[in-house]
Amino acid sequence: MIEIRQKLCMLLLLLPAFIQAQQTTPLVNSTLDGVVVDAITKDPLAGATLQLEGVTHSTKSDGRGRFRFVTGQKFPYTIIVSYIGYKNKEVIANGSPLTIELEQDATGLSEVVVVGYTTQERRNIIGSVTKVDPAQTASIPVGGIDAQLQGKIPGVQISSNTGVPGESINIRLRGATSISSGNNPLFIVDGVFVNSNSLQTVNTGGKATSPIADINPSDIASVEVLKDAEATALYGSRGANGVIIITTKKGEYNQRPVIDLGVSQGWAKAAELWELTTGPEHALLVNEYNTNIGRPAPFRPVTEVISGVAGRGLPEEQQTYDRLGEAFRTGGLGDYNLSIRGGSSDTRYYLSGGYNRQESILRPISFDRASFKLNLDQKLADFLQVGSSNTFGRSYRNQGRAGDGPQGGILQAALHTPTYLSPYNENGQLVGRAGFDNLTLLLDNYDVNSTSLRYIGNVYAEAKLLKNLTFKSSFSLDYNNYDESEYWKSFLIAGAGVGTATSALTQSSSWINEQLLSYKTTIGGKHNLGALLGNTLQSNVAKRTSAAGQGFANDSFTLISSAASTTGSDFWDKYTLASFFARIDYGYDNRYLVDFSIRADGSSKFGSANPWGYFPAVGVAWRLKQEQFLQEVAFIDDLKLRASYGSTGSQSGIGSFAARGLWTGGASYQEKSGIAPLQLANPNLRWERTDQLNIGLDLSLFKGRLAVDFNVYDKYTRDGLLPLALGETTGFNSFTSNAVEVSNKGFELGINSINVRKAHFTWSTDFNIARNVNKIEKLATTLNYGSRDLIRFEEGYPMYSFWVYKQLYVDPQTGNAVYEDIDGNGQRTTADRQIHGDIWPDFFGGLANTFTYKQLDLAAFFNFSYGNNVYNHNRFFGESGGARDAARILFKNNLNRWQQPGDITDVPKSDGLNVNNYIDGGSRWLEDGSYLRLRNITLGYSLPQTAADRIKLSKLRLFLAANNLFTWTKYSGLDPEAAANSSENQVGIDLGTPPQPRSFQFGIQLTW
Amino acid sequence: MRVRYINMLAVSALISSACTDFLNVLPKTSIADDATIIDQQSAETAINGVYASYRSYFDVSYQTIGYLSGDNIEFTGSQSQIKEFIDHNVNAENSTIASAWSGIYVTINRANHVIDKVPALSNDAINATIKDRILGEAYFIRGLAYFDLARVWGGVPLITKPTAGPTDNVGVPRSTQAQAYAQALSDWELAEGLLPQTTDRRRGTQKTVWALKARYYLYHQQWQQAIDHATRLIDDQTNYQLVTPYNAWFANNAAATQEAVFELFHSTNEINGHYASWQPQERGGTRQWAPNNAFAQLVTNPGTGGGRSALVGVDNQGRWYGNLYYRTNGSDPSFVFRVAELYLVRAEAHAKLGRLENALDDLNAVRERAALDPLEGLATEDAVLLAIENERRLEFGLEAHRWFDLVRTGRAQTVLGITNANRLLLPLPAEQVLIDDALEQNTGY
Repeated sequence: MIEIRQKLCMLLLLLPAFIQAQQTTPLVNSTLDGVVVDAITKDPLAGATLQLEGVTHSTKSDGRGRFRFVTGQKFPYTIIVSYIGYKNKEVIANGSPLTIELEQDATGLSEVVVVGYTTQERRNIIGSVTKVDPAQTASIPVGGIDAQLQGKIPGVQISSNTGVPGESINIRLRGATSISSGNNPLFIVDGVFVNSNSLQTVNTGGKATSPIADINPSDIASVEVLKDAEATALYGSRGANGVIIITTKKGEYNQRPVIDLGVSQGWAKAAELWELTTGPEHALLVNEYNTNIGRPAPFRPVTEVISGVAGRGLPEEQQTYDRLGEAFRTGGLGDYNLSIRGGSSDTRYYLSGGYNRQESILRPISFDRASFKLNLDQKLADFLQVGSSNTFGRSYRNQGRAGDGPQGGILQAALHTPTYLSPYNENGQLVGRAGFDNLTLLLDNYDVNSTSLRYIGNVYAEAKLLKNLTFKSSFSLDYNNYDESEYWKSFLIAGAGVGTATSALTQSSSWINEQLLSYKTTIGGKHNLGALLGNTLQSNVAKRTSAAGQGFANDSFTLISSAASTTGSDFWDKYTLASFFARIDYGYDNRYLVDFSIRADGSSKFGSANPWGYFPAVGVAWRLKQEQFLQEVAFIDDLKLRASYGSTGSQSGIGSFAARGLWTGGASYQEKSGIAPLQLANPNLRWERTDQLNIGLDLSLFKGRLAVDFNVYDKYTRDGLLPLALGETTGFNSFTSNAVEVSNKGFELGINSINVRKAHFTWSTDFNIARNVNKIEKLATTLNYGSRDLIRFEEGYPMYSFWVYKQLYVDPQTGNAVYEDIDGNGQRTTADRQIHGDIWPDFFGGLANTFTYKQLDLAAFFNFSYGNNVYNHNRFFGESGGARDAARILFKNNLNRWQQPGDITDVPKSDGLNVNNYIDGGSRWLEDGSYLRLRNITLGYSLPQTAADRIKLSKLRLFLAANNLFTWTKYSGLDPEAAANSSENQVGIDLGTPPQPRSFQFGIQLTW
Repeated sequence: MRVRYINMLAVSALISSACTDFLNVLPKTSIADDATIIDQQSAETAINGVYASYRSYFDVSYQTIGYLSGDNIEFTGSQSQIKEFIDHNVNAENSTIASAWSGIYVTINRANHVIDKVPALSNDAINATIKDRILGEAYFIRGLAYFDLARVWGGVPLITKPTAGPTDNVGVPRSTQAQAYAQALSDWELAEGLLPQTTDRRRGTQKTVWALKARYYLYHQQWQQAIDHATRLIDDQTNYQLVTPYNAWFANNAAATQEAVFELFHSTNEINGHYASWQPQERGGTRQWAPNNAFAQLVTNPGTGGGRSALVGVDNQGRWYGNLYYRTNGSDPSFVFRVAELYLVRAEAHAKLGRLENALDDLNAVRERAALDPLEGLATEDAVLLAIENERRLEFGLEAHRWFDLVRTGRAQTVLGITNANRLLLPLPAEQVLIDDALEQNTGY
C-alpha cells in the first residue's frame, strides 16, 4: 500500500516533467510512409494501430489506410500492426514506402465485447452475449435502434406494434417473466441506465412513444445484448429481462480528423389497405340482416314509408365514398448525419449532428428528431484518463389517435365509417358519421403534439492505481423533458362542443453514481485472474405538471389560459436504488474458465423490511479446442462449451410506494378536499427473482468461415410481483404481493457463414432462430386483459393466451355458427369460453444474406415468426353482418356469409350483435399470425478508391434501400405485428392500427 | 497506509448509514395509513372522501343498472355488457356489475373508517356538534350503500369495520336480503339521531334521512310509515317544491333546485362523465345508449309526457338521445332523490291503504307540474296503482327507478316479459365469487 501511495505521489509530481519532456524536439533518423490494406480485397483499412516494437511510439492509419512514422529509430525496425477484426501482424520495415496487408480474423475470437461493467475478448466469454453491428440495420426507417434490431438477435423477439415511427416497441428477451413488473430489457447507453418507459400522458388510443427513439442510431458503434444470468447478474435487479448495452462512437487517439456525412431520402406507403364493401354491398348486407330477423329492409325505395320511416333508396342506388385514401398518404423520409472524429496522442473526440424526419403513412402523424453528440476522452497522464459522453436529442412528434377509442380516432373516422355515407349533409356541410368525427375536418384540425428534450450523458475518471488495478468513477444522468399538448376545436368530438385543451410537462431525471475497481493479472503464464468490485447509487425522480382547459370563446383561441374553465394537477414520484457488486473470474491455460459474481440491490420500493435482494451467478466454460485432442483438428478453429446459473431480480413494474399503506387526497366533494384509503400495506413485499440456467456452445470452423452459437436455457421466476386480487368486500380490489411463478424455456441458434470470399466477390449468410416456451406456473386467480377480456393469464397456460368462444363450423343447413359446448349444457355461456392460442411463436428469427461484387454490395434481410396468433379485432367490428347498419363499416369478407342451405363457409348468417353468430370473443377472428417478411434490401455502390482519391474522399457510397417489400402471411389484416395497445399485457390484438409501411430510400455516404 | 484504511472505513461507514437514509423515500402525493383521521379537519376531509366514492359508484354504474334494466332504453354501442341489462340476461362477468359492487364496498370501507375513528377523537380535537354530524353522514352513506346492495343482489356480506390488512373483511358469508335492508335502516336510524335538522341538498341531514326512509318503507310495504316520512318533507314547503316547468330541475344548468332532496354535486373540477354516454356525437358524446322508440313516443306525446319531453332530443341523423345529462363540462348533478318521488311514494302508499282520492291528489300534483291534465275517475286500487307505475316510468324516465320499481311491486316479469324469476336478482361479480370462497352466487347464474 505504501508503495502505491508513493508511486501515485511520484507520478503526480512527475506529471509536469512528462509534459515538459514531450515538448522537446525529437531526433529524426527515419521517415516511413505506408498504407494498411485488407489482404484479399486490398481495401484500405482506416484506424489500424501501428506500434513500434520496443518503444512507446505508435500511430494510426488514416481514412485511406495511410500512415507515417517519423522516428529516431533507424531502419530496419519492427512494427506491430493491429486492427479490430483482423489478425495482428509484425512487419519489419526496411525502407519507405511500405504496404502492409492484414488478414481478416474471421473467427472473431479476439473481438472485444462489452459485458457487465467491463469488456472481454470473445474467446473468454462465459455468458450468452450477442453483439450486433448497427450499420447492418442503419437503413431501416423506424424511430429508434430498438425497432431496428428486429430479427437480428437470436432469442430476442421484437415487434413493432404500429407503423407509426418512434412509437413503442414490444421487446421480449427469452420470453416474459413478469405479469405486472415489466418485461422490457434494461437499456444502457455508455454506462447510463436509460429510461425506456414512455412519459406520454396524452391519450392516443392506448399507444405510447418510445423514449429510445430519442437516441440517433447513427451515433451508435455497437450493441451488445446480454441474455443469461452470468452476463446479467451484475446488473442484479435490472437484469431479469436481459440487458441491451449501447456503446456510442468515439474517436481514436492519434487519428486525423475523419468526417462522415450521410444523407438519405425516401418515401413510405402502405403496402395494402383494408378491403371494404362498396355502398351497394353494404346496403345489401344490412337488408339481408333485417330480413333475417324479420324487419323491413331499410334500403328500399325512398317512397316506401314503413312506420313513419322512409326508405334509404335501393342498394344499387348507394354511393361509395373512399375515406382510407384520404387518411393514408405517401410519407416522406429524410435522414441527415454529419460527424467528425479523431484524436491527438492524448485526446480523442467524436462530434456529430443528425436530423431525421419521418412522416407516417397515416395523416397527420410525423416524427422529427434533431440530435447532437459529443464524446471526449483525455489522457491526463499515463495512469489517469477522464472523459465524457453526451447525447442531446429533441424529438418532435405530431401525434394522432391511431388506436382504440372514438374521440379523435383517425382510423375510427377513416376505417370504421360506412362507405355509403356521404361526408356531407344535405346542406353541403362536412359532418361526422356513425358516431365518429368527419375525417376531413379531423385531419385538417388535428393538433396533438409533443416535444421530448433528452440529455443522456456521463463523466468519468479512470486511474491506473497499479499495473493491473484500475479504479473508475463515473456520474451519469438521463434527463428527459417531455412537453405535450392537445387542442380540440369545438366541432370535433373531443372538443365537446366548446373546445378543449390539455397540456402536460413531465420531467424525468435519473442519476447514477458508480465506483468500479478492477484487477486483472496473469500468474505464471497459465493462470488468468480478474476481479471487479463496484457500487452504484441511483435516484429516479419523475415530476409532472399538467393543465386542462375547456370552453374557448371561439376556435381561434387555443391557449389554456383563455378557456372558460381550467384545471391543473401535478404528480411526483421517486425511487432510489443502492447496489454493491463483485465478480471474480479465473482462467486456467485458456482452457478452463470460471467466474462468480454477486450483486446486492437495495430498493426504496420495498419498504423497510426487505429492501435488499442478493443476486449471485456462476459460470464455467471449457475451451475444448485448447485440449490436445482437438489441437490437431485443423478445420475446427474453436470449440467452447459454456454453462451458467444465477439469479436476477425485478422491481420495475410496481409503484414506488407499493409496500406502504397509503391514503390519497383528491377525493374531494363540493370542491372541498377529501381523503380516502388508496392501497393496503404489504410489509412483506420483496424482490421478484428469476433463476436461470444456460448451457451453450460456441463453434468456429474452417478458419472462421462458419460460426455457430447455440444456447439452451431454463428460466424460472418466483415471487413474481402482482397486484393480487383481493375480495372487494375489503374496499380494495388488490394489494401488491409476491404471488406469481412463471417459467420460460427455450433455445437460440445463430449461424454465421462466409459462403464465398474471393477478391471481387463475397457472400455471407447470417441466420438465427429461437424458440421460447412460456408458462404461468402459479397464479391464484385468472387475470383478463385487453378489450373484451380477450387476453387471459391463467395458471398452467402461457401468458398472453387468447380467451375465446371456439367456433367449430357454420352449420350448412341453418347458417348458424356452432361453438364448442364445453359444459355440454346446450347453451353458449361464459363457461364455454376457453383458452385457444396465444401470442407466442413456435419459432422466430432472421436471415440475412450479404453479397459484395467489386464495388457493389447487396444485403437482403428477412425476419420471420411462426405459430403465433393475432386477434383481428377490426373484423369483429367490420364483419358484423349488417347488424351495425349505419354505425360501422363492413369488410369485403362479410360477403362470404352463409346465404342458403348447403353453403359451406365460416362466415355465418347475420343474426344481430352478440346473439350467437357475431359475438364478442368469437374465435372466428383469431388468426394465424405467422409471417416471413423481406424486411430490408439494400444495394450499394462504393466509388473505387482511385476515383475517390481523385475527388479527395476516402470513401463514397451510394445506396438504395427498400423496406417491407414483401410479407408472406395468412393473416387477413394488414400487419401481423400490429397491436392496438402499447400496454404490456394487451399485445396481440389488432384494432385500428396503421401497418408498417413499405418504403424506399436512396442515400449517399461520404467520408473524408 | 493507515490513513488510507481509515479513509476506506470512513467511506464504508458513511455508505452503510447513508444507504438507509438514501433508500427511505416517502411519498408526496399520499399519506401513510396511520396519520389519517386525527382531528376535525382530517375528519372533515375523510367524510368528503365518503361522499366522493358514493358519487363515484352511483353516477353511472349503479344508475345504469336501474335504467338499462327497465324498458325505456335501447342499446346503440358495441359492448355486449350494456345489452345484457336491456335483454335481462346479465352475465356474472358483466363489467358494470363488477364496478358497481366494487364501488359500493369502497364506499362502505371509507364510511367504516369514519365510523371507527371519529368517535375516538377527543373534544380538544373536534367540536362535538361537528363530530356528530360527520358520524351521522357516514352512517347515512353507509345506509345508502347497503340499500343499493340489497335491491340489486339481495343478501350481501355485512361489513361494519374498516379494513386494516389483507385478511380483514374477506370470507364473510352473505346475509339475507332482509338483513341487508335492516342494516340500511339501522344505519339511517343512527344517522337520524346524529344529523342536524337542516336543509342541505347535497349532504345528508335528518330530512334527507326521512326521505330515504320513506322510500325504504315503500319497498317494505309499511305504507303508513312511508306516508308519514314523505309528508314531513312535502309539508316543508319553504324548502321543498315541485319546481315548474318540469325541466326546471335540470335544464339550463340548474343545480340544487327546490326539487332536490339529495343531489350529488358536480363541477368542472369534480366531473360527471354521464353525459358522454347519452349525448350524440355532434354534442361531444358517444350515445352508447338512447331512449327507445316506445319511451320517446310516450314522453313526447303531449297527453302522456307533457313537459317531460325535455328528457329527449333528436340528433342530426334523426335519432333520439337522452338529454337529462348534457353538460359537456361535466357539471351535471346526479339526482338521488327528488321531491316528485315523495309525492309518488305517498300516492302509492295511500292507494295501497285504499285512500284512492289522496293517492290521485299526489299523483296529479306530479302530473300538473308536467303540464298534464289530472287523472280522474280511476275507481279501483289496481287502476290507480297502474297509473302510478306508468307515471313513475315517465317521471323518472332516465333515472335509476324503473327496474327497482317493477321488481319491488312484483310486476317485472309481466311488464318486461322475463320468464326466469331468478333474473330479478342480478349475479354477484363472477371474479369475486372465485376469489372469496364465502361468497355464494345467486341462484340461476
